[in-house]
Amino acid sequence: MAEIQLKNVSKRWGSFIGVDNFDLTIADREFLVLLGPSGCGKTTTMRMIAGLEEATGGEIIIGDQVVNDLEPKDRDIAMVFQSYGLYPNMNVYENIRFPLKVRKVDPATHDERVMRAADMVELREFLHRKPAELSGGQRQRVALARAIVREPNVFLMDEPLSNLDAKLRVSTRAQIKNLQHELKVTTIYVTHDQIEAMTLADRVVVMQRGVIQQVGSPTEIYDRPANTFVAAFIGSPAMNLMEGTLSGGVFTSDHVRIAGLTGPDGPITLGFRAEDAAVAHDSTDTEISAPVYTMELLGDATMITVKAGGALVSVKANKDYRIEIDETVGLHIPAEICHLFHHETGARLDG
Amino acid sequence: MAAAAQRKPVSLKVASLVFIVIWLMVAAFPFFWTLWGSFKVELDFFSIADWTNALTGDLTKETYGRPFTGAGYYGAWVQEEFWRAALNTFIVCFFVVVTSLTIGTLGGYALSRSGHNYVFWLLIAALIFRAMPPITLVSGYLPPFFQWNLWGYLPTAIIVLVAINQPFTLWMLHSFFQKIPKDLDESAKVDGCTQFQAFRFVIIPVMWPGVITTGLFSFLLAYNDFAVTAMLLNEQNRTMVPKIAAFLGTTYTEGNVMFAVAAVVSATVPLFLLVMVFQRQIVSGLTAGAVKG
Repeated sequence: MAEIQLKNVSKRWGSFIGVDNFDLTIADREFLVLLGPSGCGKTTTMRMIAGLEEATGGEIIIGDQVVNDLEPKDRDIAMVFQSYGLYPNMNVYENIRFPLKVRKVDPATHDERVMRAADMVELREFLHRKPAELSGGQRQRVALARAIVREPNVFLMDEPLSNLDAKLRVSTRAQIKNLQHELKVTTIYVTHDQIEAMTLADRVVVMQRGVIQQVGSPTEIYDRPANTFVAAFIGSPAMNLMEGTLSGGVFTSDHVRIAGLTGPDGPITLGFRAEDAAVAHDSTDTEISAPVYTMELLGDATMITVKAGGALVSVKANKDYRIEIDETVGLHIPAEICHLFHHETGARLDG
Repeated sequence: MAAAAQRKPVSLKVASLVFIVIWLMVAAFPFFWTLWGSFKVELDFFSIADWTNALTGDLTKETYGRPFTGAGYYGAWVQEEFWRAALNTFIVCFFVVVTSLTIGTLGGYALSRSGHNYVFWLLIAALIFRAMPPITLVSGYLPPFFQWNLWGYLPTAIIVLVAINQPFTLWMLHSFFQKIPKDLDESAKVDGCTQFQAFRFVIIPVMWPGVITTGLFSFLLAYNDFAVTAMLLNEQNRTMVPKIAAFLGTTYTEGNVMFAVAAVVSATVPLFLLVMVFQRQIVSGLTAGAVKG
């Protein structure tokens, strides 16, 4: 059992704030993803949980023990590093076995546990190789095996996939998800890749400049972003955000007129997702009418981009849809798909 | 066949060959001359009448019946107890290397893993001490050593040599340690090591090449040192280099110079072997820190 509680955890270097009042409870067996752009404090948060970085404020509780003053080795965690952190002088077998050895686990069980961990990540045939003789994906699996061999209370993963090529990333991602499901260990996973976050997480924490922006399930974060930062960060392409004014439920901006909204009158930011919108059939359902800025063929869809509301706005159309640049296109943006944000703070406006 | 672009004109080939031969003669000739001459008598090797005597060994043949003689070696090693100096050198080198490596690895590791600003100034200070001629330190040491009756003993010389050596080993090991990613320490710590265990089980095994290289350099410094050993050791405890100097200082006795020549050859041979065995490490040591500061 390892519930992790972070109570107002902060990290400051001089006057620079790395992590500001991080307050979160991570349930036992939860897969939590810390997501944010580089420098947002997600790795620092994880390193504070690991004990590699000292928290300058707040309390970190693993299980029912305050671990602030404990060495990493006493926190019963295992970590997978971005650069793998394999021991280059040991072969794969010894690498996986190392945590058991230093922690003086009964040597009689070593072989069995190493083998089991190696089997879980399909490494059995590489056990006698040195890390230098392995590919990136294999190294990453060694790092995973080394983390799971001890069956710790908490897994910490610091961008474990970012050094792999795209194809390998997908398969290793699936493997991690499956491993976590099988081992049922609380996992904290740091990434800047929102697709990783969406696919892996039970809950996602979106961070920016050391501050939590939103905590929620991937669907919540995707469907109801708490502010414009989350809206723009999650999704590919990111949510379209237009500046304009709302008066009497009608949003207007250059080339844009969307009716049927509920919100306060005045300047406002309106967002919608490219895949929710569509090309208009006729002038009655046309909310945006503007010349095409660019058209991109994605294979499964065609992306049409126009300049409207002071931004580039993209809409996904049928994959057979074709249009020339500079031709005027009508786009259908029903009010139901629109998200309203405060024009200054960026906070979500509806209830 | 080499590609046209790589083919060099004959004239250039000849010129470079000639240069290498000349350079080799200038650089290596003294060593071979000394080696050759060490098996002759003094009057041959330092013949004023005819320098070719050194080649033919006329007087050596006259004295010993053969053109070569081991008399110089016998005189140096047995008669003048050069073996004692060799033993002293071995003791001094061993302890200097062990001590400076122990302090150097621990200190270099600590400095490389510290994020504080003073690390930079410590290393700069180390560099300044390294730049000073050793003799300046020795002259400062002498009065207290006399007063406390420490002068003349091997441990005294070892301590001073370590002190002179330490900045350099620290500097060098620091740059080696910096090349080892911090992730390695951290994953060791998460895997269950204390800081020291991480150093002992994970970092040092990776560091062996650096440790060996630094050890070699500190060995060479101790082995070749003259300033410290000549000033601080009494006659009994002299190491090889001051002993050779002592041989040369008593040239009025015939044969003594040959002892020196024989001793020089004896002192050089281990160095040759060492450098040949460890040439890779030495080269990497020379370039270490070249790109990192």
